[in-house]
Formats: sequence, structure tokens, C-alpha cells
Amino acid sequence: MGQGWGPSRWAVPRRLSPLPPALVAAVLAPAAAWAHADLQPGGGFVAGFLHPISGLDHGVAMVAVGLWGAVLGPPALWLLPLAFPPVMALGGLLALLEVPLPGVEVGIALSGLVMGLMVLFEVKPPLWLAALIVATFAVFHGHAHGAELPAGAHALLYSLAFVIATGLLHLVGILLGEVRRWPGGRALVRLAGAGVALVGLWFLERALA
Amino acid sequence: MRGPLAHLVPTGLGPWGDGMARLVLQPLDLLLLLALVLLAVQSGRPWSDRLPLVLPLSWLVGGLAGLGVGVELPLALPCTAIVTAIGVMVALGPVLRLGELLNDLLLLTAAAGLNLLFGLVAGSSLAGHGGALPALLGEAVAMAVVAALLLMALAPPHPRWLALGLRVVGSWIAASGLLMLGWLSRHPL
Repeated sequence: MGQGWGPSRWAVPRRLSPLPPALVAAVLAPAAAWAHADLQPGGGFVAGFLHPISGLDHGVAMVAVGLWGAVLGPPALWLLPLAFPPVMALGGLLALLEVPLPGVEVGIALSGLVMGLMVLFEVKPPLWLAALIVATFAVFHGHAHGAELPAGAHALLYSLAFVIATGLLHLVGILLGEVRRWPGGRALVRLAGAGVALVGLWFLERALA
Repeated sequence: MRGPLAHLVPTGLGPWGDGMARLVLQPLDLLLLLALVLLAVQSGRPWSDRLPLVLPLSWLVGGLAGLGVGVELPLALPCTAIVTAIGVMVALGPVLRLGELLNDLLLLTAAAGLNLLFGLVAGSSLAGHGGALPALLGEAVAMAVVAALLLMALAPPHPRWLALGLRVVGSWIAASGLLMLGWLSRHPL
């Protein structure tokens, strides 16, 4: 008792961030709240989140957007991931409005191939051109996924999760691209670009077959 | 078919808990709240301090009025368009300079008006439901908590990465809204 509550041991942090407790609360929230969410492939947050991650062609292209952004540096680093989701959604909107877009599968495959090559060869076009290339491919990706948006009960949750997962894939690409700051990192990023390009080439061959 | 704004998902926690869960499971109200909070913190103006009180209250007033409507208002499309537009405004962020164009009172009134409308739609969708009133109260409380937490966490000044992050979230809201607009066009309620 004589020692009391020493400040060195029990000091309260000067500034508490509300986010960690909020995250803990979200994780510990009763699963019952989600028990009735539609977890079938046709809808729901989980299905929407898994959709872009489970498709290799979409996944590598999204990572490539982040990688290329990292190669280009600011402002492209944040402008490309900022612009991609709305433009992709615009493509999705076109599909849902039943506006046809020819060569969707070829466009998606080309996106991986082209952006992979951009990363591999560290191509740095003007920002407007980089944005135009990425936006064009975003429309193809959005169109393909918009056509698959289910007629389920949780379309907004599905859409939200789909967009979040896509954005997180961009973030993965950006973080991977940031290893360029380390010794040998630049070669690693170029290698990743080569991998993306190869996947894109494989899908292109399949799309054209 | 259930609409994006409609009904309660039974959580086993009673109507109060169902209402709280509705904020997450039917997230259009949450997206509006998030977009308005982001817009407010981007502008860095005093009107954002009043949002945790004004937004849930206006939503609740609208919800109570909606209960009296008796039929579900078919306003999913315009409500989604509103959320999409505000998401675009957040994504544009400093480009738009909304805080310099409009004064605090006008911004606060517009935010309250939008929440009133969304509350009205939510209330109308719950009309006739046994636990509608506690569900509305539960959702309003959840909105107040979420708004307060967000405003605490995102209080300006923002480091550069966070300012960019806010804009990215705005673009995600806009993208989700666009997809939802398409979905609503294909599957009208």
C-alpha cells in the first residue's frame, strides 16, 4: 500500500485513440448479428469481399495498379488507387444497365499484361496517360464484375465489400512497391511486375483461344 | 425481395439490438453518416462538432415520422444517388473546397435534412413492425456512437497520409453507390 499506484506502471496514455477499442468491439461483436446475412455465393459481405480476391486475373491486375503507382511515385501513387474504384464501378454500372462492352475478357487479361510490363520496365508516362490506361482497364474489370452482381438481398453489402477488397489489393500493391526503397527491392518489384505480366499473358491466351 | 433500406434482420438481441445491427447490415444510413462525417472533418470547421448530436436526432425524427407513413417509401434510388454524390465530394476533397463555399449553418442544415430524409425512409420501411420504435432508437444510438468515434479519431489537422485516406474512403463510398445504382436499375424494388 505504501508504494501506491506509481505513475511509471499505471500511467494512462496521454492521448487515447478510439479506434483500437472500436476494432476490438467489432471483432468481439456477437456473431448472431451476421447470422442471417446471406453468405451464399450470390450475395453478402463475405461473398463480395472474396470475389475480387478469388479471381486471379482481377487480383493480379489490382495489385499491379498499386505496384505501378509505387513505381510512378506521388501523385500517381495515391491518384491511381483513388480513381480506380469509381471508374471500375462505372463499368459495373454500364453492365448492370446492360450496355454491352466487347472484349471484356481480353481487356482484363491485357490489363494484367500491360500493367505488369509497365512495372517490369519501370515505364513512367505522363500522369494523364497513366490515369487513362488504368481507367480504361478499370472499366473492363468493372463491367465483368457488374454483370456478376447478384440479385440477392444484400447488394449494397456485396458492392461495398467488393470495392473494399479491390482497394485493399491496391494497398497490397503499394506496400509491395514500397520495398523499392530497400536494397534489392527494385529488382523484387520488377520481378513482381514480370509475374503479373505472365499471368496476364496466360489469361490473354485463354481469352483468345 | 428485400430492398437496401428495408426491414430488420433478427439478431436475437431484441428490437434494440436489431436496430443497432441494421446500421451495419443495411448500410446505406451508415454510408451517409460516414460520408457526412468525412466531409465535415475535411472542411475542418466547427460544424463537425455538432454532428454526433444532429445526425442521429434528425434521423430519429425522420424515422418517427416515417413510422406514421404506413407504407415503404420507394426512395432507394434517390437515397443511393445522394450517398454516391457525397462520396464523390469526399473523394474530390480539397479540390471542391466545400467549406469555403458554404457557411457552417447551411452545411449543418443540409446534413440534418439528408438524415431526416433517410430516417423517414427507414421509418417507413419499419412501419407495422412490432419492435419498430426501439429499433429506431437503437439505430440512432449506434449512429451517435459511430459519429462520435469517427470525429474523435479523425479530428484535424490530418497528416498527409490520413487526408489521402479520407479521400480514398470517399471514392469507395462513391464506387459502392454507383454499383448499387446499377443494381437498383436492374432490380427495381
